[in-house]
Amino acid sequence: MREGRKAYLSQTQAAWVLLTPFLATYALFLIYPFFRGIWISLHDWNLLAVAFNPDAKEFVGLRNYERVMWGRNITWGFASPVLQALGLLGLVAAAYLLRTNRLGRLNVIALAVVSAALVFLPGFHPGEGGRWYDRRFWPTVGNTILFVAWAVPGVTISAMVLAAALNRETKAMGALRTLFFLSQVLSVTVVTLIWQIMFSPRQGLIANVMEVFGASPINWLTDEKFAMAAIVIATVWWSLGIAMILFLAGLQDISKDIYEAAALDNAKGIKAFWYITLPNLRRTITLVVVLQIILHFQVFGQSHLMTQGGPNDTTQVLVRYIYQTGFRDSELGRASAMAVFLFLIMGLFSVVQFIVGREKS
Amino acid sequence: MNKGYYWLIIALSIPAFLWLVPTLWMVSLSFQPNEVLARTTSTTFFGLIPLPFTAENYSALFAFGQTPWWFLNSVIVAVGMTLGVLAVSTTAGYALARLEFPFKKMIVVICLIGLMVPEQAVFIPLYTMFADFGWHNSYHALILPRMAVPIGVFLMMQFFQAIPKDIEEAARLDGVGWLKIFWYVMLPLARPAMMTLAILTFLYAWNDYLWPLVSAQQRDYFTITLGLASIQSNFAQSEGLGRVMASGVIASLPVVILFLIFQRYVVQAMTVGGSKG
Repeated sequence: MREGRKAYLSQTQAAWVLLTPFLATYALFLIYPFFRGIWISLHDWNLLAVAFNPDAKEFVGLRNYERVMWGRNITWGFASPVLQALGLLGLVAAAYLLRTNRLGRLNVIALAVVSAALVFLPGFHPGEGGRWYDRRFWPTVGNTILFVAWAVPGVTISAMVLAAALNRETKAMGALRTLFFLSQVLSVTVVTLIWQIMFSPRQGLIANVMEVFGASPINWLTDEKFAMAAIVIATVWWSLGIAMILFLAGLQDISKDIYEAAALDNAKGIKAFWYITLPNLRRTITLVVVLQIILHFQVFGQSHLMTQGGPNDTTQVLVRYIYQTGFRDSELGRASAMAVFLFLIMGLFSVVQFIVGREKS
Repeated sequence: MNKGYYWLIIALSIPAFLWLVPTLWMVSLSFQPNEVLARTTSTTFFGLIPLPFTAENYSALFAFGQTPWWFLNSVIVAVGMTLGVLAVSTTAGYALARLEFPFKKMIVVICLIGLMVPEQAVFIPLYTMFADFGWHNSYHALILPRMAVPIGVFLMMQFFQAIPKDIEEAARLDGVGWLKIFWYVMLPLARPAMMTLAILTFLYAWNDYLWPLVSAQQRDYFTITLGLASIQSNFAQSEGLGRVMASGVIASLPVVILFLIFQRYVVQAMTVGGSKG
């Protein structure tokens, strides 16, 4: 296209010139692998066999999903009464909250969906003479959820309390914030290195301190009762920083006038936190919780390096199981089926995050 | 400042100190002799003070062992990835924010969908692809997958959208082409956003574990993060606690220094990264 004396690219041409490098890598290294992953999950695909002979894969349809998630003689009933009762309770609470309009519609819907899943999903169990085809898959998913269920409230609550306490622009407060954020920049392998030694019953700092008080050391990483707690502690220590920063940003949005008005009514300190800060932080809390769920559902390094999924599979998590199925057992088809399952869960929460984020801005 | 404020500072110092203890302990252990650590890790004040002191672990680390090499690999991968991500993200971000062309909306939506795809969901197909190309155990295998993640594009797009239109229009009236406007007018303005994106990418590259774990099987191509994982998985045979801790300190040094110098950018980058994948 000619404009004046020189030849220029038109707007459309310029746009494509600028977009091509990204779109090419995006298509090749994200979009294509994504669909290829689904394709692999539909095959009986042995890593080594296919590496030697590309035709060694066999199309099996949804068999991998069946082999991972289903079993023989699976029936539905009240197999885990505690979880299912909790789900029912959640549904009742959601109905109540919807009528009283207390929590915001989106939160209520989210609560209802989670509760319904809690009632419905744990009900599946092998009937008489039946068994799961893969005994480890659902316990692994359960461990992952358990990890999320401990780490997310742990991070969220401590980050919120810290943020509320640190919400002043002074040098000392700034220094304290820096301290709390510092561990966040470390890599997962440094974090696991530190905490492996911290938890060691023979060399660990925790054991050394406990010894002073006359307590016998705990085998944190090899005791079924403590292994999950140990990786949760390391995780909370590691990932508190971002949540704290998000809360600090949320606190900035609360006007100072409200606090001053409340102070006249003698609402200070903890009272002010409960009646003013907490309700005004509702959106930030939702955002932080959703972000943390997405982040921690993908936990891998802590479990892989600190406990190797043990003892007795109590800290085996989904991504580690995918990794092992794919790269130790060479079962890429089954591993991919699990990865698709992971993606669907992540996708669900990403949609929630997108909606919450939109609402916020 | 009232009395309550000082009490608050004192009360907060306790958890802050506890928060620092694990890191402090790693640093302190790295400066103690291995012979002592083999017996006890709590010589002076639970081992938090490095007495008896030695710098031998560090000199040993640089004399033999692969840690310096892994460190260099990490630098190459992190710098390469940062430059690559900056290049594709600034160009695409500018085009999507400021230029009008057919299918623009569709491309934005397609990129948004990509934000939902986690690394963990594509690492198996990526592994088989790179194996087909014969690309594993190379720097580009470690760098390329991250360049496809659209978060940088959105970061840059949001930044460019906020720049007033008249700057561009003035240049257009002078007959300057779009690519020149991008290079001479927009890029210099985008420096703060580029800085945030660069730090986000550098931290990601330095700390990434899963993809290097499957892609780099030869120890020559380990990044420091991966190398450190391989050291800690065979502790017993390894070179002693002091040296392992020294490796941990070396592995953390660049990101900690980056954090202390560019604190504001790092916090911003990690918050953006945390909230968008």
